[in-house]
Amino acid sequence: MPKCTINGKEVEVKAGSTIIEAMYQEKESIAHYCYHPGLSVAGVCRLCMVEIEGNPRVQIACNTVVTEGMKVNNTSAKVKDAVKWGLDFHLINHPLDCPICDQAGECGLQDQYMEFGKYDPEMAERKQKKHKVVDLGPTVVLDSERCILCSRCVRFTDEVSKTHELGLFNRGDRTEIGTVEGKQLDNKYSLNTVDICPVGALTSKDFRFRQRVWYLKDAETICPGCSTGCSTKVYFNKEGMFRVKPVYNESVNGHWMCDEGRATYKFINREHRLLKAKKGKSGQWSEVAPGAAAKELSGILKGTNADSLGLVLTAQYSVEEYEAIVSTFVNTFKSKKVFFWVNNKESFESFDGLLLRGDKNPNTKGLLKILDKYGLTATWGDLKSGIEKGELKTLVVAGPENQAVFPDLGEKITELSKVPKLIWLQAGKNEQLEALTGDVTLIPLKTYVEKDGTFVNHQGLEQKFKRVTTVVSEALTLDQAAQLMSGQEIKITTADTFIESNRRPDEVMLEHRKKNEFVFKRGTL
Amino acid sequence: METKLLTEFYHLEEFKGLEGYKKNGGYAELAKALKMQPQQIIDEVKASGLRGRGGAGFPTGTKWSFLPKNNEPRYLLCNADEGEPGTFKDRLMMERAPHQLIEGMIISAFAIGSKKSYIYVRGEYHYPISVLRQAVKEAYDAGFLGKNILGSGFDHDMDVYSGAGAYICGEETGMISSLEGLKGQPKLKPPFPAVQGYLRKPTIVNNVETLAAVKYIIRDGAQAYRKHGTEKSPGTKLFSLSGNVMKPGNYEVPLGYPLIDLINKEGGGMKAGRKLKAVIPGGSSAPVLTAAEVEKANLDYECLGGMGTMLGSGAVIVIDDSQCMVDMLGVLTHFYHHESCGQCTPCREGTGWLNKILHSILEGKGRLQDIELLEKVADNMKGKTICALSDAAALPVLSFVSKFREEFEFYVREGRSKVKGTTYAEMHH
Repeated sequence: MPKCTINGKEVEVKAGSTIIEAMYQEKESIAHYCYHPGLSVAGVCRLCMVEIEGNPRVQIACNTVVTEGMKVNNTSAKVKDAVKWGLDFHLINHPLDCPICDQAGECGLQDQYMEFGKYDPEMAERKQKKHKVVDLGPTVVLDSERCILCSRCVRFTDEVSKTHELGLFNRGDRTEIGTVEGKQLDNKYSLNTVDICPVGALTSKDFRFRQRVWYLKDAETICPGCSTGCSTKVYFNKEGMFRVKPVYNESVNGHWMCDEGRATYKFINREHRLLKAKKGKSGQWSEVAPGAAAKELSGILKGTNADSLGLVLTAQYSVEEYEAIVSTFVNTFKSKKVFFWVNNKESFESFDGLLLRGDKNPNTKGLLKILDKYGLTATWGDLKSGIEKGELKTLVVAGPENQAVFPDLGEKITELSKVPKLIWLQAGKNEQLEALTGDVTLIPLKTYVEKDGTFVNHQGLEQKFKRVTTVVSEALTLDQAAQLMSGQEIKITTADTFIESNRRPDEVMLEHRKKNEFVFKRGTL
Repeated sequence: METKLLTEFYHLEEFKGLEGYKKNGGYAELAKALKMQPQQIIDEVKASGLRGRGGAGFPTGTKWSFLPKNNEPRYLLCNADEGEPGTFKDRLMMERAPHQLIEGMIISAFAIGSKKSYIYVRGEYHYPISVLRQAVKEAYDAGFLGKNILGSGFDHDMDVYSGAGAYICGEETGMISSLEGLKGQPKLKPPFPAVQGYLRKPTIVNNVETLAAVKYIIRDGAQAYRKHGTEKSPGTKLFSLSGNVMKPGNYEVPLGYPLIDLINKEGGGMKAGRKLKAVIPGGSSAPVLTAAEVEKANLDYECLGGMGTMLGSGAVIVIDDSQCMVDMLGVLTHFYHHESCGQCTPCREGTGWLNKILHSILEGKGRLQDIELLEKVADNMKGKTICALSDAAALPVLSFVSKFREEFEFYVREGRSKVKGTTYAEMHH
C-alpha cells in the first residue's frame, strides 16, 4: 500500500494503482476524455496531466503508477496551462454545433471548457471536414466532426462486447471512427458506446433529437429487464420517460447495461398504459376507478369457495407486493392455489457471459422465496387440469409489466380466459385482453418506477429501489390491490402525479424523424 | 577523412553476395561469437559504448540488458524503416552489404538469446527488400541461419518484412504494432518493448547500422572500437549528406568529426557563388543550425546536444543562401501533418494546425501574430505525447522561427519570400 501526496494531501492507495485512480479515490477533479475505469488505458487525450515532484515534464495520470512517497499535483499553473492547451487542441477542429448537439448539457468538452477554457479561439484557419452523419448500425449514429478520437468506443467493442465492429481509419487529423468492412455496430450492448462517448459524436437513434438533457430529471432505480438487475438511472420529464442509462455497481453490472434494458422505459409511458379499471361482460365494457374496482372485488372473492379460487403470478413484481398478495390469498381467502407463470422456459437459464440473462424477470428469486415461505407448491399442470376440469372458477392474474419479454402472453391469455371469472391486474394495455368476451375485470397497476420495493436478482442479492415518479396516479400497486381485495380501507392519493398526458405521441416523433431520413443515408463511411 | 570501418568493401560488387562477402572476412565474427558466452558479447558491446544509430542514440548494450533474465521467448527486430527525411544510409547498407547486417543480427540475437528476428524494411525500398530476401535465403542455405548454426546448438530464424509506407512505423513501438498486423501506432510506455514488445514478449529493436556495427566490435574488440570517435560517442557513423553541396552522398566518418569538414572536404563544399546558410544536422526532426553554429559543430551526440539540436539519424541537410526558410518549413510541416498517426490529440491536431498556419503565411494570408502562434503551438506539442513525432514536428518549427525570424516576418508583411522575392505560387509553379 504505497503512500503518496496528492495536491498536498497524504493518501494511501492500493498497490499498482495509477495516479488517476488515486485521484478518483480522493475525489480530486482531473480532466480526462480517453480514460474510462471500465476500459484499458489508451493515454491519447493527454488531458490528465499531473506534475510529479522531481520530474521536469508533466506526465499523464492514467498510465503512471503511484510509487511510495510520490508527490503529485494537478493544480499548479504548469498543469493548468498544459490542460488548457490540451483542451485547445481538442477544440480547434471541433464544430461549434452545441445548439443542435444532443450531448449539449452533458458534454465533456463543454464541462472542461467552462473549467479551463473561456478564451477566444486562436485558430483562424478552416476546420477539418469529416463525415457528418454516419449510420453505424441499427442503434447508433456517428458525427465524425464532433468526434475527439478518444477511442473509448473502439476499446469497448474490443474489450467488453468483444464484437470488434469499430476501428480508427486514416491517419492524423483525417482519422475517423468507422465500422470495419462488412460489419455494422450491431450488438446487444451497442448503446454503451453512446454513454461513454464524452462528446456528441455517437448518439442513440432512440434518443437523439427528442429532448434537451437540461429538461430531464433523473433518478436511480433497478432495471426490471432481466434477473441480472442492473443499477440504472431513468431520465424523465413532464412529457414522459425518455431513456435509461447504467449506473456503476461493482457487484452487479459494473459500468454497463444491455440495449434491451434500455427499452424498459417505453412501457412506463402513458400511451402504453391502462388508465382505468375495466369491467367486461359479453364484450360490453365499462370503466371504473381502479380502487373502486378492487374494493368491489373483495366481497366477491371472499364469497368464493377457496378451492375454486386461484392466483397466477409473474416474476415482475417486488418482494413486498408478493408478500401482500400471497398472504391475502393464503390467510384471507384460504386458497393455496398460487401459480408461477414462467415466461420463456427454454431460454430461462441462459446467460450471454456479460449481463444478459434468459430469465427476463427482475424478481424470480424473490417470488420463489415467498412461495416457499407459504409452502405453496402448485404447478402449472395443476392450473391447467383445474381449468379443464372446471374446478377453478375465479382466477386473479398479476400479468407482465414488461409485455415485450412474454412471448407466450397471447397463448396464456387464451388459456386463462377459459375460467368463468378472470381478474387481470397489469400496468400496460393489451388488445387481446380487451377483446375478451367473458366476465373479465382489468385493473391497472403501477410500474417499477412508481413504487418502492425490493428485487432479488439471480445472485440472491436484495436490491431496494425507490419511487421515481408517478405516471398513472390512479393505478394501484399490487399490495394496494391485495389490501383492497381483502376488504381493508386504504387511502389512495392522487396528488403526486407528475407526468402530464399532453406528451407528443411517438407516431409524431417518428414522422419528424422520417423527414430527416435523407440525412441518415447521406455520407456513410 | 573518411574512416571506412563498415563501408570498407562497399565499392566491391561481389560484397553483396555470400561468396564475395565471405572472401572479405564475412561470417568470421559469427563463428567467433558463437564460441563466446552471450553475456560476454553483451559486456563487449556495453564496453564499446555503441549508441543506437537510428536517431535516439541510446546505448545499445544498456538496452539489451533491460531484457528480463529468464527463458521467456524474445525477439530481435531490425529497424530498417528508414523514413526520416534526408536519411539514406540504411538503404546503402542493405543494398551493398546485406550479409553484414544479417551477420550482425545473428550475433546480436545470440547475445540476447533470441530465436527469431525480423527485418522491418520501409515499404518503398523494393530493391533493398529483394536484396535482403536473397541474402537471407543464401544464409539459410549456407547454414548461418536455421537450426544448430555452425554446430553451436544455437537456432535462429530470420524474416524480412515490408512496411506499408508510414513514417511512424520507424518508431519502435509503432513498428511493433505494424509487425503485429495492427494499425501502425506507437504503444503507450511503460511497458517498454524490452519487457513487453512484439506479441507481448520481450523485444529488442535496433537500427540497421547499430546491428551491423556489432560485428566490428566483436572483430576488433571494444577497446579498438573506442579508438574511433569521442569518449561519449565512440565509433564511426554513416552520414547522409544532402542538399546544396557539390557531392551529396553517404560518408562514414568517426563521431566527433567537424561538421564543416564533412560539408567542405567530403561534400566538396558549396556551389560556386553560394554561401552556406543553415544545416539540419540529424534528419528533418533536428533543430536547424545557422552557418555560424555549423563552424563550431562536431558530429557527435554531446556536441550537437549541447547546441540544442541532435545527431539523430545522421542526415545532414545543407541549405545555401538561395533557399527560402519559410518555404522549407512549409515542406516539413506538410510532411509531419501527413505522417502523424492521429492517436494523441496534441500531435494529431497540432501538426495540422502548424501546417495550416504556415500555408496561410505562404499564401500571403498570414497575420503577424501567426509567427508567435506557431511558436506557442509547437511549444505545447513538445513532450506531451506517446512518441516523439510530436516533438519532431515541433522542434524544426521552433528553431526555424527563432533563428530565421526576419524571413518569416518579411513573408507575413510582404506576402512573398525575402530570399526569392517571389510568392508561393510563383515558387512552385
